[in-house]
Amino acid sequence: MSVTTLERALAAERDSLPGSAASRPARAAALAELGAVGLPTTRRENWRYTDLEPLTKIEFDFTPRAPDAAAIRAAAHALAAHAIPDDGRRLVLVDGHVAPELCTLDARAGIEVRDVDAYRTRPAAKPGREIAAADHPLAALNSAYVQSGAWLRVADGVRLEEPLRLVLVASGAPLSAPQPRVVVELGRGAELAIVQHFIDAADADGWVNVVTEVEQAADSRLKLYRVQQHGRRQVHTSLLTVDLAARASASLGLVDLGGRLVRNDVDVRLREPGAAVELFGLLLAGEGQHVDDHTRIDHLAPDTRSDEAFRGVIGRRGRGVFNGKVVVHPGAHGIDARQSNDNLLLSEQAEIDTKPELEIYSDDVKCAHGSTVGELDAEHLFYLRSRGVDEAQAREILTGAFVAVVLERIASPELRAEVADAAAACLRAVGETAR
Amino acid sequence: MLKVEDLHVRVAAREILSGVDLTIGSGEVHAIMGPNGSGKSTLAQVLAGREDYEVTAGRALFAGEDLLAMAPEQRARAGLFLAFQYPIEIPGVNNAYLLKAALNAQRQARGEQPSDAFEFMKLIKTKMELMQIPKDFLNRSVNQGFSGGEKKRNEVLQMLLLEPKLAVLDETDSGLDVDAMKIVAAGVNSLRSPHRSMLLVTHYERLLELIVPDRVHVLAGGRIRRSGGPELARELDARGYEWVQTEAARS
Repeated sequence: MSVTTLERALAAERDSLPGSAASRPARAAALAELGAVGLPTTRRENWRYTDLEPLTKIEFDFTPRAPDAAAIRAAAHALAAHAIPDDGRRLVLVDGHVAPELCTLDARAGIEVRDVDAYRTRPAAKPGREIAAADHPLAALNSAYVQSGAWLRVADGVRLEEPLRLVLVASGAPLSAPQPRVVVELGRGAELAIVQHFIDAADADGWVNVVTEVEQAADSRLKLYRVQQHGRRQVHTSLLTVDLAARASASLGLVDLGGRLVRNDVDVRLREPGAAVELFGLLLAGEGQHVDDHTRIDHLAPDTRSDEAFRGVIGRRGRGVFNGKVVVHPGAHGIDARQSNDNLLLSEQAEIDTKPELEIYSDDVKCAHGSTVGELDAEHLFYLRSRGVDEAQAREILTGAFVAVVLERIASPELRAEVADAAAACLRAVGETAR
Repeated sequence: MLKVEDLHVRVAAREILSGVDLTIGSGEVHAIMGPNGSGKSTLAQVLAGREDYEVTAGRALFAGEDLLAMAPEQRARAGLFLAFQYPIEIPGVNNAYLLKAALNAQRQARGEQPSDAFEFMKLIKTKMELMQIPKDFLNRSVNQGFSGGEKKRNEVLQMLLLEPKLAVLDETDSGLDVDAMKIVAAGVNSLRSPHRSMLLVTHYERLLELIVPDRVHVLAGGRIRRSGGPELARELDARGYEWVQTEAARS
């Protein structure tokens, strides 16, 4: 592999890694691992459709400073512009740094918040749980440069009904490439709902490379909805890992409405019997947008369940990718795994590459999967038009309906309406519901 | 209200209608009967503006306007309504939303104020009662999980709300049991007025016992072969369609 601007820059920065002194060895190790495996190229099967090569020629700033007063004001403005509620449960990171001025979450909320360096240097750190750089090179980049990030813990038995708003703002500082990290730990029987927002404070070129790690103890329940609304100049790469112990359940939703180049990786490990995951996603890609969702669910224990449904709406010359892998490991019997991926192409130039992958090494498994790619149904259009609805509005209604079917999985009606509104606005902007 | 002259229609290079002439005056109810494959549904669909059909000759005037030059939504806004033979399911679009969008599209076209939520509920409530449609229906997706009869009643409900000038009912009776047919007929009859015309496309005479037409036409082989009063429907019921076709072939 060629020595890129990025790799030269990374090598030069080896001695100037950010963070606490205690975190330096881990950061240096991550950088060394990244150096060994290199950034993913399209020669890797998992990265066939998404080319990071152009990024390696740009001199990104991987160590953006903590926000100053002006950046805080800009971020506050972005929060208001996106109508993100401030109901006393908001945690805001600007360029990966916690911005206390914008946070309203306090100790009464029942969530303990610390920074990620503290997590990584905690006495109970279990070696071997770290994300392997070979699987996720970009996670190693994040490990090397991570800013304060946020380590959230919900104690055993604590149940929090109102959703936590976790807002990650990109400041728009020149070529800023923050490396935010969020670690969520749920104790036994704990319950938490999080809406993770990604927004921009300015329309600028940048790259947000985020890692979210979730660890759920037995009988815990998590709802995590991730709403990405970056501007059209932003690159967004993300990794979400979720590890579930016995009878723990997670409902994970990925909603991608913005960004120029977007790549999301999701790794779910159903580690103990009775664990269950619902994983769903909505991907909108219009002119100049490339959105790639790669998911992997490992059924490592008996009687584990997964239910996965992704939908894509691609307009103009947008491009979407869906790759969903489900692995049922030896000895994991009594498995129920469903997966579906349905895509709507709004133009002839729009493109989607979809690939379900099932690997089953066990008997007594119930698996169902399917994918579809299509246009708006001509019969549906005619039906609406025959009722007096004009063609453009009929297309908008039907596209909205296609999207609504997957958003139904958001349990709370208020949140569902909020996300549906954001998606509708974006569909109009991507808009090109007309051909 | 509707004047169809020498209408020729093709679907995928096959001629389905070969010169249909039909005039429906204001306030009149006409029935078109005919054997399967005679082109009855094609006529209904062409009037509503389905694009898969190619009109190769003839014309259709609706309230004096060139119907065939209008987009489907323009026809609807001008007051034409088609009750579908096979109402489709639209997952993710709820009935209330569709009904409101349809009502307001037509009001907007007439330069009227859109209906607000309160007025809409008032309007739809009595019509739902007449069609014996349960209350939860409004929040359900269009036709999804409906029985055949419920779908047909839903078509008539839409018609009651939109109050068209010309209603074309395409085999609205097919697949209905006697009770459901009575409900549908009551809905349709409630709309009869000197200012509203109707075209009932049907295969059976049963519906015409409940909605008595002014004129009955027999469509066979792409043309209207015979026209008469309501007694023609009873004659067809007793004798079948063959004699009409034979007679047509002879002449």
